[in-house]
Amino acid sequence: MRTRTGLGGLIAIAALTLTAGCAAETATTTDTNAATADDTVAVAEGGEVCYITAAESHPYVTPANEAIDEAAAAAGLTVIRLSQEFDVQTGTDQMNTCIGRGSDAIILWPLDPQAYIPGLIAAKEAGIPTIIINSPMDDEALELVASFTGPDVYEEGQLAADSLNEALGGEGSVVIIAGQAGNGTTIGRTDGFTDRLTELGSNIEVLQVVNADFDQQKALVASRDLITRFGDEINGVYANDDTMARGFIDAWKEAGLDTAALPPIVGINGQADAFESIKAGEMLSTILQSPYEDGKLALETVARLIAGETVEKRLPIKLTVINSSNVESEMPAF
Amino acid sequence: MNGALVTDLGFALVRYRVLVILAVTFSVASIWVPGFFSAGTLSLSLDRAATMGLLAVGLTVVLLAGQLDLSGGAILAVAGITAIGLQESMGQIPAAFVGVMVGVLAGGLNAFLVVVLRINSLVATLASMLFIRAVGHYITDSRPVSGIDPFFGLTVSRPIEGTITGRSLLFLVAIVVLHFWLTRTVSGRNMFAVGSNFVSATASGVRSRAYLAGSFVFSGAMAGIAGVIQSLSVNTGSPVFGESIVLTAIAAVVIGGTRLEGGRASAGGTLGGVLTLGALTTAMEFQNIPAYIQQIAAGLILLLLILLDQLVSRRNSRDVGLRSLVRRMKALSRPHQEKERKHISHEN
Repeated sequence: MRTRTGLGGLIAIAALTLTAGCAAETATTTDTNAATADDTVAVAEGGEVCYITAAESHPYVTPANEAIDEAAAAAGLTVIRLSQEFDVQTGTDQMNTCIGRGSDAIILWPLDPQAYIPGLIAAKEAGIPTIIINSPMDDEALELVASFTGPDVYEEGQLAADSLNEALGGEGSVVIIAGQAGNGTTIGRTDGFTDRLTELGSNIEVLQVVNADFDQQKALVASRDLITRFGDEINGVYANDDTMARGFIDAWKEAGLDTAALPPIVGINGQADAFESIKAGEMLSTILQSPYEDGKLALETVARLIAGETVEKRLPIKLTVINSSNVESEMPAF
Repeated sequence: MNGALVTDLGFALVRYRVLVILAVTFSVASIWVPGFFSAGTLSLSLDRAATMGLLAVGLTVVLLAGQLDLSGGAILAVAGITAIGLQESMGQIPAAFVGVMVGVLAGGLNAFLVVVLRINSLVATLASMLFIRAVGHYITDSRPVSGIDPFFGLTVSRPIEGTITGRSLLFLVAIVVLHFWLTRTVSGRNMFAVGSNFVSATASGVRSRAYLAGSFVFSGAMAGIAGVIQSLSVNTGSPVFGESIVLTAIAAVVIGGTRLEGGRASAGGTLGGVLTLGALTTAMEFQNIPAYIQQIAAGLILLLLILLDQLVSRRNSRDVGLRSLVRRMKALSRPHQEKERKHISHEN
């Protein structure tokens, strides 16, 4: 008992000393900070970017992370990469780490539309410019950041509409296999598609919109129903992503129908299996959203911020329509 | 050389292993992270660990009682959702209070399951963990809820007067209170008795079951406080918050020398465990070391400390208390006091 008390007391004293140490150092905080900042600059040469990524290992995120490292090396910047491992709480704490480090800029991959807002306020107060990459946040968050770089999901829908409209010559009827109901990506990609058809004055009629949650299996089940119900009436298919496009192709084959008679199918993402389907003539096109471009654009944007330039509030990444004409020359996104 | 003294010094190192491992972690961190010992970085390490630390304070008592509580992360999520979700209808401070009360109630549920229904605490709190988290998903429709004013929550996560953050201060206060409760009060000492031998504690007049129930309510309350603090700091309540935090908190408590068998715990040890894991995370993050490597390091520290623990508990009879060691070392440095040294050697 006695020794336990002794140990406890000792550690408590150590902790209090630590706290007191912090307090004592406050008097000279400015000096300490100045010294730390100097050190960082000396190491970093051109400045330090704190990058809070979604995860270390993920088919889309990993290439984006690598692209950021490459672009940073080219720009002479040092990147400190903190991984949230898809945990919002970790990410919000990491915002504090970035601010505490006194980094020159922060790149945040948001996993929640709201939770990072206090962190963004703190970063703004500390005078650290922040940009968000890939995923949108709520409007009040967008006011706090210098820029939002990432794919424009609405434009992806528009490009898909262009591609399908051209293939069908502006006539016929199509089905839409959408992602999760209420999801921002689903809404953007679907509205972009239907709005564009109206804009083009196309005569294409949408037979039905089904939600398959970006899931291949759910898309397969939904497609079975669509094929049974509409059959030959389906002149074209638009899927919110390539995974669900795959589901439709599988349902078609399962029904014993001739793959040569497949209606033109458009997907989004530019996944490797969609490239294979385009090569095999089973898919018309996909919209390539490159994680390399995603990462590269984010880093180049913070580089401009650090250099003192002003940047646009919204910077979409380049989207490429992949079809049989360029499928051999382009690289799949993942 | 005095062989016995050297051996005992070795054992002392093992006994104060939390301090040793903390010192090692801090040294390594200071090599890795330029300016680690600056006020800002230290304050940051403490802040990173504060939420987990609040949970660990509650768990220290549960583990001391020889029980387990896995539901802390789920309670944290629901308490946070409550504190944020009720802000609009009842104001920020009352909502935060209700959030903490949710934690107390959840702790009461655990106490009922373990003490009244006599369900094994691992199973009981596993069930309540699943149940409480599901409630969180149900009431929020699996979507995060956001508070009315993000600036309100900044008070807990912003350094006070440039020193430590509000939640770090709260954690340190909780540790000090726990320390005095465990070492200076009758009920604190009774807690040790209940943890080391439930039956004999009951036989000697301690209301053991009430103590057991109390430990779960306390743990629930601490999880509630941690959840409210966490949610305020991000102005968001989410059913997915705190999914892995309980295991980290248990690891911190065990690194601090508390044994799962019950009967041994200390507030200072828990503080050491929490600080070790906090410093480890900060240092490794600054070095760009992937999260899974951090887990490997934490796991190895845990194993090492448990093995050392077994080593010392077999030699518990040796007097390696700090006071006696200092006395003996003083004696050693003054060889002319031969008599005193001999006297002490005999004593051992």
